[in-house]
Amino acid sequence: MSVLDDLKNLESEALERISNSGSLDAFNEVRVQFLGKKGSITAVLKTLGKLPVDERKLIGASANAVRTNIEENIKSAQNKLSTCKTASDFDPTLPGTAQPIGTIHILNQVMNDICRTFYGMGFEIAKGPDVETDYYNFEALNFPPDHPARDMQDTLFVENDRVLRTHTTPVQARFLETHKPPIKIITPGKTFRNEAISTRAHVAFHQVDGFLVDEGVSIADLKGAIVAFCKAFFGEDVKLNFRPSFFPFTEPSAEVDVSCILCKGKGCQLCKYTGWLEILGCGMIDPNVLDNAGIDSEKYTGYAFGLGVERIAMLKYKINDIRLFFNNDIRFLRQFI
Amino acid sequence: MKISYNWLIELTGLDWSVEELSNRLTNCGTAVEDSEATDRYMDKVVVGEVLDLKPIEGADKIRLATVNIGSETMDLICGAPNAAKGQKVAVAQLGANLVGDLKIKKVKIRGIESCGMICSERELGISDDHSGIIVLPQDAPVGQLLAEYLDFKDTQLTFELTPNRPDSMSAIGLARDAAALASVKVKKPEIKLTESPENASDYISVKIDDPDACPRYAARIIKNVKIEPSPWWVKKKLIVCGIRPINNIVDITNYVLLESGHPLHAFDYDRFGSKEVVVRRAKDKEKFSTLDGNEHTCNPDVLLITNGKKGVAAGGVMGGLNSEVENDTNNILLEAAYFDPSIIRKSRKHLGFVTESSTRFEKGADPNDGLIYALNRAAALIAELSGGKVLKGIVDCYPNKIEPKKIKLRFSRCHALIGKELSKKRIIQILSDLELAVEDKGDNLSVTVPTFRPDLEREIDLIEEVARMEGWGNIPDAITNIGSLFTPLFDDDKFAEESRIVLTSAGFDEMVCHGLVDSKLAEKVNPGSQFVKIVNPSSSDLNVMRNNLVMSALPVINHNMSHRNMDLMLFELGKVYFPPDKNGEWIEDNRIILVVTGNSHINWREKPRAFDFYDLTGAINSLSKHFHLSEFEYCPGKIDYFEDKLSYEIKFNGTVIGCIGQVKASLAKASDIKQPLFLAEFSIKLLIENSNRVGDFKPLPQFPAAPRDLAIVVDVSVPAGDLLAGVKKAAGDLAEKVEIFDLYTGKQIEKGKKSIAISISYRHPERSLSGEEVDERQGKVIRSLKEKYNAEIRDK
Ligand SMILES: [Zn+2]
Repeated sequence: MSVLDDLKNLESEALERISNSGSLDAFNEVRVQFLGKKGSITAVLKTLGKLPVDERKLIGASANAVRTNIEENIKSAQNKLSTCKTASDFDPTLPGTAQPIGTIHILNQVMNDICRTFYGMGFEIAKGPDVETDYYNFEALNFPPDHPARDMQDTLFVENDRVLRTHTTPVQARFLETHKPPIKIITPGKTFRNEAISTRAHVAFHQVDGFLVDEGVSIADLKGAIVAFCKAFFGEDVKLNFRPSFFPFTEPSAEVDVSCILCKGKGCQLCKYTGWLEILGCGMIDPNVLDNAGIDSEKYTGYAFGLGVERIAMLKYKINDIRLFFNNDIRFLRQFI
Repeated sequence: MKISYNWLIELTGLDWSVEELSNRLTNCGTAVEDSEATDRYMDKVVVGEVLDLKPIEGADKIRLATVNIGSETMDLICGAPNAAKGQKVAVAQLGANLVGDLKIKKVKIRGIESCGMICSERELGISDDHSGIIVLPQDAPVGQLLAEYLDFKDTQLTFELTPNRPDSMSAIGLARDAAALASVKVKKPEIKLTESPENASDYISVKIDDPDACPRYAARIIKNVKIEPSPWWVKKKLIVCGIRPINNIVDITNYVLLESGHPLHAFDYDRFGSKEVVVRRAKDKEKFSTLDGNEHTCNPDVLLITNGKKGVAAGGVMGGLNSEVENDTNNILLEAAYFDPSIIRKSRKHLGFVTESSTRFEKGADPNDGLIYALNRAAALIAELSGGKVLKGIVDCYPNKIEPKKIKLRFSRCHALIGKELSKKRIIQILSDLELAVEDKGDNLSVTVPTFRPDLEREIDLIEEVARMEGWGNIPDAITNIGSLFTPLFDDDKFAEESRIVLTSAGFDEMVCHGLVDSKLAEKVNPGSQFVKIVNPSSSDLNVMRNNLVMSALPVINHNMSHRNMDLMLFELGKVYFPPDKNGEWIEDNRIILVVTGNSHINWREKPRAFDFYDLTGAINSLSKHFHLSEFEYCPGKIDYFEDKLSYEIKFNGTVIGCIGQVKASLAKASDIKQPLFLAEFSIKLLIENSNRVGDFKPLPQFPAAPRDLAIVVDVSVPAGDLLAGVKKAAGDLAEKVEIFDLYTGKQIEKGKKSIAISISYRHPERSLSGEEVDERQGKVIRSLKEKYNAEIRDK
């Protein structure tokens, strides 16, 4: 069956030529040489007349298959070429064309990062109103009636005896009233203060508070949770320092410093040469807060913590002006794409 | 609060460095915020003697001083009016670095070279006094380093104290914490008081009209004092603690305040006006002048110390002008009182200022040992420094004694709460070191809390003391799995998170606004609507909460325009706020706003085009697709802030959830926005309730689709949405997809008409459709379009 072998050889020769050709002219040449009136495949077909009928049919069919195959290969090679116009004026360095994507606000990115870390630890989300009652914002949280935070200087008051919540901890007070331990919650949200706007202070900021209430919860549990969060968020080698402090709604209370994320504790401008950055406040929920919510503080104990999203974003991205967050200048927003 | 490091070391006898003391105190809750060496501006400053002082020709403000500083004699320009020949002064040499980054260099003034400076107290960081140069005692040795001569090597520690710890607002209080950390005792200065035989009670009596406001008032009389400047050791401590020395009597009351924490007041006995102290509430509109010269109109919130007739001090806040100690004062009435924190708070609020004294009383002073210690300590010092005689006895009015509290502390509770088993011995030691009286009762302690610790009221407060003295760093980190181990995401968080991805993918940037807006703008955007109003806004342009997202977006757009960011696609997911409705409910509604203005992104293949309405509906469509929501409808409706011709309500499932349109040019202009601005705002509550992320699987089609195109001409007024709905209805369930692929108005079409090309894809789920079947459906579609919309079919 030497004719069939000839066809096979011609086919592979043609395909190789096609794959090595890079211009329309070269493809035409291939077409003429193999498929043209005087082409090699045509020449094979011309010899068929001398063969017996059944052999003729067989070879004819495979000759046509070869023909179609070569034809299709030329076509698809040409198609590729034409989308690039010609090989010589194609420029892969031209920017690709698509509607540029937008940016999720950096505060929401950081807030999500924080929340996601706590999701991993099994905390659920709870929410509450921004316009709060004095009771949930202060009284239920063990603020004495004459606490300075209840002064006009610190808190924005709203007509009809409401306040713009000064922290998201009121959500804790609300949640405790309606749920039974074990409770394991984070409360992300917006909070407000009566502050003059400057590079370091604003009338509003975002906070993620968290709390856990169950039997037998101790400072050690609180420390474990905070250490786990800080390692997940700032990296495995972060160091922590717990400084006893004071908040009306926790007792005992502490502030937590992490080793400076920039200088790793050696001292730099960011950490004011202390090697530490203050990152969050925490403590054991004051028994009064539990009692106010109708939870037996003898049986149950709990911890709570709170962190400022702007502060963490400013530290993490070295943002030096808190006003940038609410200005929403797209040149700022798009830096965090 | 500022306290001298040396003082704390003296009181504790510890050998801790500044750093160690700071760290250890910080880690037990008395945080050191800052520490500064007191002699940091005294490098290269020495004692010098003014040998000569000559005027400089043509200059009347400055003189040429010749100064001997031991190693050399130098000429200096001196501008101080109090400089004189023969004085011993402080001379800063070349290379000295004084307050305010003032570096001493060679300077030439009026042709005279000056290589140093004679310093004032301010330049050396001693005080704010810049009225003249420091004049040192005559025996100051020329050439000695000033810091050495003044014994001014100390460190000013700045404490950031928590509001619950009034006891730590003093050198002794801070020393108590430090001493407890090292398990040593505070060395309180011994009081060497010699009383003269005369009875103080012959000179003064005390009557308290309101024992709730003033539970205790104690006084001493010191006769024949001589008002003078304090000795340097007193001044130095005051200066390091940030208090300006005045005279020996005032300085001593301040010194004892810093040392013991208990505020005292010294009256000029001869100006007091009577032999009787009466403590009472001020009468309404009663006038009283404080020693700063200000006259106040009081009310009963102010507690007055009176001489029986008129006020001589605003108790616990400030003394009166009429009884102030002056340079000619001979006899002193020294007050040590205890005032209730709430009356002091009311009083200072009414008077409108705070003092060192009011701050301490407001947080809680010690009515017992602390008060008496301060009174005796100050009396003894006054006698020592002013030559006065302390009369016999304390005139003490203490009608209702305040007793120390007793608190039970269970060891089991202490262990459970801290999460670490501390030995009984250790707990007892910690509490005793803090000067609490502890009695072992087996499984618990009975703890008597001295009255200088008003913050310790409950068992939990004692546990806090144990935890902070043990150190949080020494408590282990527990890895516990309490509560749930999974986190179900809230539907609205999921919705928000996914919306952000959909919208940013479509090119929108997210903005975050705080929600406080200017009522003037708010009223313009949403006239006549109700707002949540701020009673005490921090600034007048942030005085109401937004009740739609437009009013907080406009300033953002304005900000961007003013920085030449002209092409904007923005969105926000945020709350809007409403005052209580008829049922008293305060509504906060979660919404999305979409804003487009300017032109689309430039690239080399497509020309930019102006953003418009359809960029908004396109994005909304993406959201509705993503959340598998039913279609949104846009119905003409008048919205105040939209142009009449482009103002629509957004309907979802038949309910109006928001609006979409083009912002009125006049309103945009008021925010300095001069280009067309399109926006959509809608509530997401219904969308969240109806969103359905996961649909059931539908088998892939087995049979081919039959596409048909159709071009029709209709009146321009016929809405495309109606046509599409009409086509779908006529084509029935065989029409798998109906889309508009071309829209044309122009020359080739009659005026008032438009050409719309629609493609319909027919498919049967169970068999191939025959050409006849498809033609029959297509015919039905054409007939219905002709009937309903008077459509004319164009040949292709
Ligand atoms: Zn650093």
